[in-house]
Amino acid sequence: MSERNRLRSVLTLVQLNGIIPIRTTPLYILNTIASPLSFLFFIFIVSRGSYLDYGITGGMVLTMMTVGTSLQSDLTHYRHDLKFQDVVVASPVEAPTYVTGMALSELVYSLPALAVFVALFVALGHPTVVNLAVISGVCVLVWAFASALAFTLATYFQDVRETFLFSPMISLVLTVLPPVYYPLSALPAWAQTAALISPTTYAAELVQGSCGLGAPLTLSSAAVDWGVLIAFTAALFLLAAVKARWKEP
Amino acid sequence: MPSAISSVHLGKTYPKARPGKFALDDLSLEIPTGRVYGLIGRNGAGKTTFVRIAATQLAATLGTVYVLGHDIRTEERAIRTRIACVPQESRPLYFLNVEEVIYLYLKLRGLDPQDSRRRTNDVLSELSLTSYRRVLVSRLSGGIRRRTMCAMVLASDADVLFLDEPTTGLDPIARREVWQAIRRASRENRTIVLTTHYLDEAEALSSRLALIESGRLKLEGTPEDLRARVRYPYRVTIQGSFPREELDSYGKVSEIEGGMLLFTREQEAHEVARRALERGLRISMGPVSLEDIFLDVVGRSIEEDSESSEKDEATEEASA
Ligand SMILES: Nc1ncnc2c1ncn2[C@@H]1O[C@H](COP(=O)(O)OP(=O)(O)O)[C@@H](O)[C@H]1O
Ligand SMILES: [Mg+2]
Repeated sequence: MSERNRLRSVLTLVQLNGIIPIRTTPLYILNTIASPLSFLFFIFIVSRGSYLDYGITGGMVLTMMTVGTSLQSDLTHYRHDLKFQDVVVASPVEAPTYVTGMALSELVYSLPALAVFVALFVALGHPTVVNLAVISGVCVLVWAFASALAFTLATYFQDVRETFLFSPMISLVLTVLPPVYYPLSALPAWAQTAALISPTTYAAELVQGSCGLGAPLTLSSAAVDWGVLIAFTAALFLLAAVKARWKEP
Repeated sequence: MPSAISSVHLGKTYPKARPGKFALDDLSLEIPTGRVYGLIGRNGAGKTTFVRIAATQLAATLGTVYVLGHDIRTEERAIRTRIACVPQESRPLYFLNVEEVIYLYLKLRGLDPQDSRRRTNDVLSELSLTSYRRVLVSRLSGGIRRRTMCAMVLASDADVLFLDEPTTGLDPIARREVWQAIRRASRENRTIVLTTHYLDEAEALSSRLALIESGRLKLEGTPEDLRARVRYPYRVTIQGSFPREELDSYGKVSEIEGGMLLFTREQEAHEVARRALERGLRISMGPVSLEDIFLDVVGRSIEEDSESSEKDEATEEASA
């Protein structure tokens, strides 16, 4: 496929799985807004308002993670119940094109949620060129690794119900346990160490640091955070390239 | 003309299958270019496995398949740009309407919007789907959904089309509309691999047929070849009573509602017909249908299987 045709395929998938379903069933959008907003509300109440800023920045990161969750169940459902993956495999569309298009289509659902958080951030936070750039960069990386992981897993599941089992576990490890919604220092010492294995911790540290939340971020620790985040994303891309079952064994 | 598809000693064991169980076993086939090739066989014979391997959706275990001269093991990309597939039990995305299913599939394959639009309109009218164009898939009957899937790949630019039970669940009129579109596609020199349980359909459309049984090729050839290969290529039905003992000497007899059914050879068929007419009985005769061949060949292999398993049991008893 030529680059031009790849782009056409990606945009077609965005239309097919993002724009058209939202047009016919706008309620889908509520689904993606609901969980980050309820977390925000929860954190706000429990911390008596003091973690509101964390909640807003964390909400953006979580929104990108939910893209992965919905992608995973959509891809499993389409592959298993509709045989849509088989239809696409037997066509000029290659796996990376398919995943990119589908992952972008899920992003369309999350745009309203993202807009809410950006609006809150602009109103209540302290937006600067630097922190907006950091937030955007982190969000793109989280979206990319969540999507790569979602695709890999989706080619293994035999049943959509399996994704309902796995998704909460993955979001527990990648979004709830890591200090996305509160400062790392709020965790007990053992949990701080444990959180270091989750890439989301580094994402949160970058976002929080660039917004002046929590301990100030030094140049060297920022470099470590970016390094880990990029390495993790690269590792999940590699995993998808090697292990995802585009063709069934 | 070279074959569109050659299967060379193809073997498949699924990763989770019992060891030694072959879903396909040394299957070699030549599928000619620009024709409809029918794959028939009972449930679990291996038709879908073959289609999925040739369509590069499933890996082969042994042997290989060449599609348009390209090896499925090493040249998937070259194959994939030129094929399209309606997988068994596939359904269109339910939140699209019929037109979107077809149009977006064509654009997804990389066709430009104008060309996609034109092909969509053509296939909608060809398969009598125009009145459904704006209807959501979730509101369609199973038959129209299936027809939409067929329309999608028939409208594509692919040279080889894999249709795995494309007409299952269609009413007789809708089936014939799909047949027409399949015939048109083969007139455009496209190759169509068709699996079906409707043997009249296989016979009406296919220039060649393969009968697969337990992953092995049982019979292969044109419908006439297949007829020539069975023991009794003629069927005679006799209405009324005709002495059974006399019929038994001609071939395979079974009793049917109000008379007898005899499978026999051509010469004998004429002889029996003459005798029946002398007795004033009504008869009809003609070459066997594909269904008769299927029942004969597959029926025999079932008999053989049960005989050999009886023998196995007998030897087990003897050794015990
Ligand atoms: N995913 C699978 N895992 C294990 N065995 C399978 C799988 N799919 C099919 N089989 C087995 O392979 C054989 C051939 O199946 P299939 O190709 O679907 O037959 P058909 O399409 O002719 O009905 C059957 O015995 C079936 O049980
Ligand atoms: Mg099948």
